[in-house]
Amino acid sequence: MTDVAILDTPANWPAILLPRAAGGKASAPAGVAASAPAGGPPAFDGLRKAIRDLGPTATIAAIGASGLRGRGGAGYPAADKWRAAAGTAAKGRVVVANGYGADPASATDQVLMERNPFAVIEGLAIAAFAIGAEEAIIAVRTEAASTIRILEAALAAASKAGFVGPDVQGSGRRLEITIRTVQGAYLLGEETILLKALEGKRGQPEQRPPHPATRGLRGLPTVVHNVQTLAAVPWILVHGPEAFAKIGASDSPGTMLVQVRGPERSGVAEVPLGTPLRQVAALAGSVGAGRNVKAVLVGGPSGGILPPSALDTPYAFGPLRAAGAHIGSGSVIVADDRACIVDLARVLTRYCADEACGKSIPCRIGTRRLSEIGDRIAAGTSRAGDLDLLTDLAADIVGSALCDHERLATLPLVSGMRYFRAELDEHLERGSCPAGVCHPMAMAASATH
Amino acid sequence: MSLIPGFGMVRGMALTLRRFFEPKATIRYPEVKADIPPKFRGRLQLLYDEYGTLKCETCFQCAQACPIECIDMGGMDTKGRFHVHWGPPETYGERREESALRRSGRPVPDPAYTHFEGLDIRALDGILESFDHDPAHMLPILEATQAAYGYLPVAALKHISQVTGAWYATIYGTASFYGHLRFEPPSQAEQAAAMAARRPADADFMAGLGASLAGRPGGDA
Ligand SMILES: Cc1cc2nc3c(=O)[nH]c(=O)nc-3n(C[C@H](O)[C@H](O)[C@H](O)COP(=O)(O)O)c2cc1C
Ligand code: SF4
Ligand code: FES
Repeated sequence: MTDVAILDTPANWPAILLPRAAGGKASAPAGVAASAPAGGPPAFDGLRKAIRDLGPTATIAAIGASGLRGRGGAGYPAADKWRAAAGTAAKGRVVVANGYGADPASATDQVLMERNPFAVIEGLAIAAFAIGAEEAIIAVRTEAASTIRILEAALAAASKAGFVGPDVQGSGRRLEITIRTVQGAYLLGEETILLKALEGKRGQPEQRPPHPATRGLRGLPTVVHNVQTLAAVPWILVHGPEAFAKIGASDSPGTMLVQVRGPERSGVAEVPLGTPLRQVAALAGSVGAGRNVKAVLVGGPSGGILPPSALDTPYAFGPLRAAGAHIGSGSVIVADDRACIVDLARVLTRYCADEACGKSIPCRIGTRRLSEIGDRIAAGTSRAGDLDLLTDLAADIVGSALCDHERLATLPLVSGMRYFRAELDEHLERGSCPAGVCHPMAMAASATH
Repeated sequence: MSLIPGFGMVRGMALTLRRFFEPKATIRYPEVKADIPPKFRGRLQLLYDEYGTLKCETCFQCAQACPIECIDMGGMDTKGRFHVHWGPPETYGERREESALRRSGRPVPDPAYTHFEGLDIRALDGILESFDHDPAHMLPILEATQAAYGYLPVAALKHISQVTGAWYATIYGTASFYGHLRFEPPSQAEQAAAMAARRPADADFMAGLGASLAGRPGGDA
């Protein structure tokens, strides 16, 4: 997947994560050459500033003032995690860069690590310095062979230049960064599960609290960040928190990499948070002649299916959640009117149920029952009250879930029901699929009612 | 330790004497039935729900919780991925038998355990050595073992359990969770391709998503 396209964005959109080359386009493809970007490591000015000018406390304060929120999906304020980890008495602390990229349909994190590996490493070093960690891990997918080679080359260059190692830039602080590969399940992207995998245990989440920031890897306070969150950190220190806070939406400042997929083209683009969803979806081009945009799937496999009327929603954490979707993996998929919402929701829910880890009952049984409801609606074999059951079940899952996966797994069906009720009713009541995708059986539907 | 010599012994004897005259707890089973908690099942049995679906999801929670490893799961997991044995209580009987036999030092008859004798564990010992026998590195240990032997032989898992001190059920639970680890010997080519490829579940998802967006049913209903 090295050949992911970088989509052109308006020239006035800021470039924080993917630096643009002279022509205004995002930097040239890293290709399969699999070495660190040419020219050696940059000066690591952010790290220098943190060590020489700011010190740990002021560094955390600067990140807090910038308003940086986690890009891993939930949008938790980064500085809060750092404060929690720094404020917990412990023998050691750990920073983990989450580069797992769980969503098979989104390559955002991979693109970042391949094109701007030094920003990730520098962000990791700054976070480690700020919270007092001497150990840092970059977790990547085992299959991402070229990403791993690029990261390894970049890490070697950074160590050679003294930005990582026994004495980071003469600060007297040690920092060891290791690249660890994990693979085997969608859920490994979730932070407590990722930590389990790094400890060599089954990929199942842990009850929170304690949050990893106070008790994580091997019991040590552990800050887990998406690689994009970390890559924004050096920029913030170099350009100042105020400059960052001015970009994007006021409650979700900065930019984020979005994987856009549409009928015309797909690729990754750096988008200021708060940009209307319409503009983000438009990066994928227009739907074919004679076709209309029917829905936009936002957030990945557990994303919400939003109607065209929701296209004015700002692409930011809060507004998307309120609309019934979430930022998730940064995936935005445009569906035209060939797609059937029921079938789409069914495919997504089934994937989420298959991937559920089985630790808690909402996860083990709840997601399974959800996916069965989706299957029944598509097949026209729904039972009386299936939609009420869906509403109840989704509420129960959200209320009692152990991790966010099963909570979010309710979104495809629930958002489908919220915005495309008429299409569901066609399946349920008339046993017909308006898009001609499913083949619900009218007879079977009436027989079970 | 008490200050008066011998006082501790007197205290101990007093407890013995007290217990000696207490009423005995022996129940004359089967004439007298024990007072059994309502949820006690007597033997492990897998239940079916009202639609006839087996309720066990092969999640290994019980196997992991069972301190003496007498429970192990059988059948297919939710992805139809691996095959152990399930059914009536004999499911677990088989597992118990194996531990019982092993404790008594006799060979285990189940063909699944024939490797138990034959495995050349030198490579495995090297791997364990390189990870410092540390169960915290279980995943890389299992991955390296699979790379060395082509799959995860039961004997290797048992040996890893003995050497690292991690429970067999925990290791088995870990190994059976990750799609890239396997318990049967694959062909070399299969092996290399499987470790390098994205997960089949991901490929299926992408195919289903693509079909659904293009207006065809996304995967079999
Ligand atoms: C099912 C599931 C999958 C996730 N996958 C990823 C992932 O692939 N990459 C990631 O960075 N965060 C993922 N997350 C979010 C992480 O749990 C965690 O919140 C994040 O890594 C924290 O980093 P942040 O503070 O930078 O957002 C996932 C969460 C869930 C519930
Ligand atoms: S594996 Fe054990 S705990 Fe899990 S569902 Fe089956 S019987 Fe229950
Ligand atoms: S996926 Fe199993 S508890 Fe969340």
